[in-house]
Amino acid sequence: MTAILSVNDVDAGYGPSEVLQKVNIYVDEGEIVCLLGSNAAGKSTTLRTILGMVRARAGTISLRGEQIQTLSTQQIVSKGITMVPENRRLFAKMTVRENLEIGANMRRDKAEILTDIDRVFLLFPRLKERVAQKAGSMSGGEQQMLAIGRALMAKPSVLLMDEPSMGLAPILVQQVFETIQQINADGVTVLVVEQNANVALAIADRGYVIQTGRIVMSDTAKAMLANPKLRDAYLGELEG
Amino acid sequence: MTPELRRSVRQGLIGGAVVLYLASVGMLVAFDARAIITNVVNFATVLIVITFAAFGYLAGRPGKGGEPAQPFLLAGAVTGAVAGATVGVVAVLVDFLITGLEWDVRSMWTSVSPTLMELLSFGQSPIVGALLMTLLGFTAGLAAGSLHLATTITRKVILLGLMAFVFGALGAPLFKVMLDGMHIPNRWLFDRDGLTITGAIVLFAAFGLARLGSFRVGGPRQALLKVPGTSEKNLRWVISVLALLGIAVLPWIVNDFVSDVLGFVGLYILLGLGLNIVVGFAGLLDLGYVAFYAVGAYSVAILTARSSYLVGGSVTAPAVAGYTNFWVAVPITILIAVVIGVAIGAPVLRLRGDYLAIVTLGFGEIIRTLVLSDWLKAKFGGPQGLTEVAAVPFFGLNTRDPQILYYLIYAFAGLALFISYRLKTSRVGRAWAAMREDEDIAEGMGVSVIKYKLLAFATGAAVGSLGGAFFAAKLSVANPGSFTLLVSINVLAVVVLGGIGSIPGVVVGSLVLVGLPELLREFGEFRLHIYGAILIAIMILKPEGLIPDKRRALELHQPDHQPEKSVLSAEATEGIQ
Ligand SMILES: Nc1ncnc2c1ncn2[C@@H]1O[C@H](COP(=O)(O)OP(=O)(O)O)[C@@H](O)[C@H]1O
Ligand SMILES: [Mg+2]
Repeated sequence: MTAILSVNDVDAGYGPSEVLQKVNIYVDEGEIVCLLGSNAAGKSTTLRTILGMVRARAGTISLRGEQIQTLSTQQIVSKGITMVPENRRLFAKMTVRENLEIGANMRRDKAEILTDIDRVFLLFPRLKERVAQKAGSMSGGEQQMLAIGRALMAKPSVLLMDEPSMGLAPILVQQVFETIQQINADGVTVLVVEQNANVALAIADRGYVIQTGRIVMSDTAKAMLANPKLRDAYLGELEG
Repeated sequence: MTPELRRSVRQGLIGGAVVLYLASVGMLVAFDARAIITNVVNFATVLIVITFAAFGYLAGRPGKGGEPAQPFLLAGAVTGAVAGATVGVVAVLVDFLITGLEWDVRSMWTSVSPTLMELLSFGQSPIVGALLMTLLGFTAGLAAGSLHLATTITRKVILLGLMAFVFGALGAPLFKVMLDGMHIPNRWLFDRDGLTITGAIVLFAAFGLARLGSFRVGGPRQALLKVPGTSEKNLRWVISVLALLGIAVLPWIVNDFVSDVLGFVGLYILLGLGLNIVVGFAGLLDLGYVAFYAVGAYSVAILTARSSYLVGGSVTAPAVAGYTNFWVAVPITILIAVVIGVAIGAPVLRLRGDYLAIVTLGFGEIIRTLVLSDWLKAKFGGPQGLTEVAAVPFFGLNTRDPQILYYLIYAFAGLALFISYRLKTSRVGRAWAAMREDEDIAEGMGVSVIKYKLLAFATGAAVGSLGGAFFAAKLSVANPGSFTLLVSINVLAVVVLGGIGSIPGVVVGSLVLVGLPELLREFGEFRLHIYGAILIAIMILKPEGLIPDKRRALELHQPDHQPEKSVLSAEATEGIQ
């Protein structure tokens, strides 16, 4: 079986600076895969490259065997990959509903969009209560729910998540990761980027470690959790 | 000297400088001719008093914590007196230069006329004049400072009454014509070019009492809702129908000149709505919007003018009108404008903010230079432009008559208004709002930033060219002199004054910035000074504009990203619960 998403020998960077070097990642359909790494390792850049927001300078990126590295972000989103960005990055001055509608911006099926909004509300009842509230006025936890809901509105088959635990209290982190499992159980493949290795590995099937733009380790989540080298060599001081 | 006192003195010096500025650019002398209350007080004096009062009021304003910065009366009086004394002292010095040292001050500074000197000294000797000016400042500042002691209601009632009386007086010639037209006796209210004393009292009392009355019942809207049988919904209907009726009968109760001015206001509403789509909705700062105005005017001129090259050598034949008529020309014009809009937009899509502004500024000038050039003189007529543009054919009516053309312009302005509203609340409008807020993430969500930016440029160009088309048909010419950078600035000022992104704001902005200066001739001459002053005042007092767009207001009053710390602490308490 070929992977639903595969990143093959990809180089990418910003202007003159090279960030990613020969990155290889694959995600099978229905998996949760996590990409671990310390600050500035290139995790966000990897996700942005998959989504076409940063261009791959070499290598290929495939979705269900079809190469997508030259497509525009809009085309990639309509093919079924969306992202929950780092720090949530909601449209703070727009209402909860408008944020969700933006997530469905390139869809044309009006009726389906309405049922999908209801589906997001079923997943996050808190959002329904705040449907007309400005996104910026909500708590951090609610904002993370909305960021996930907004990404789901594009009907993704692959969901990219950039550090969903960032800035959240432990109890909320737990909730977010339970939600990720639930979304995954509903048939969405998930690639989640994290610095918080324990929580991520707890729900993931497999994991990768990225360090200064190179993949330095990959294994099953279980094996990685048991591997003492992981913490000492790559994530070290980050597990505070 | 206490810091408070120092502040009052500083405010006073600034206030005095403002009056001196008004005097030195010639505004005071020009406004001296305009009466407020005939034979009692004229606009120049009122302007001086307003300036003193405004600074007195500001000096007495409560501090940040809400507690008075200093005793209101003292602050106001000191500020006013210092301002008055500043003006007085300078007037005495200048008078000494002229009469004592026999310097020819006027050869350097043309505004320093005998009329001005007499105005500043109230017709008395310089010293007495200076004392009177100080006294005037003291009184105005004291009165303004004491407004802080009054309740909010009293303050608002007094301010509205005063405003009604000043605007009533400034608009006197216009209102007089309107009342005469409706055969309403008005001798008791207006006297030649100002108010009568009775008129002043009646206006002040009427508006003040109306405001007080509406306060009693919780605002004008609530007051109307109290009338049996009204609800929010049918109230809105009634207001819309009344507004439409008002627009419909307006040309018939004013004279031709005012209809003409209203026509120009309508053109600016069109232009403003178009630019509002680009700047307000999509957040793209366009400083060369005049380009589309010019494209509209020249396209219609080429297609319908007798002097157009399309008509060929047959210009001499009196029977030959233009190549085609206005209604055929308009869709072609819009198409041309859209193509040019996209052509200008496409190369600059990746530019943001300031860079975009500079590049569009350049494009505006390029269009003007092109139509002005010798190279294209055969097509665009060079500096003379194209003349004899055909009138708009409309069921045999004479559309050169401003009262008739008025309806056509406002019909199209209404259409543009409707399109603006629909766009704003549509999927497109949401995408624009998202783009404006966070272009990166909007793109990441699959919003095609390029497509939506081009759409904004194209729609803005189409609406703007419509304004240009009517301009050419209205004046029957299209010449480069009408399409200067100043037009771009005017339109942008209309949008900013009304409130960026606000649709009713464009209407109000056009009325204030285009209508008022035409009606108050004395203002017209100082238009740029007044623009500057209004824009600075708006930026300081009401940065979101006169009728703010809700979302924009939020953008200005909320920090971009709430501090992480507060989010975290909210989180923490949530976790504990
Ligand atoms: N927009 C950008 N322009 C230039 N360099 C960037 C940009 N974004 C990230 N970088 C650089 O790329 C490297 C990787 O960043 P990033 O992918 O954001 O790391 P991570 O998400 O793992 O913390 C860092 O050295 C960072 O400074
Ligand atoms: Mg990152």
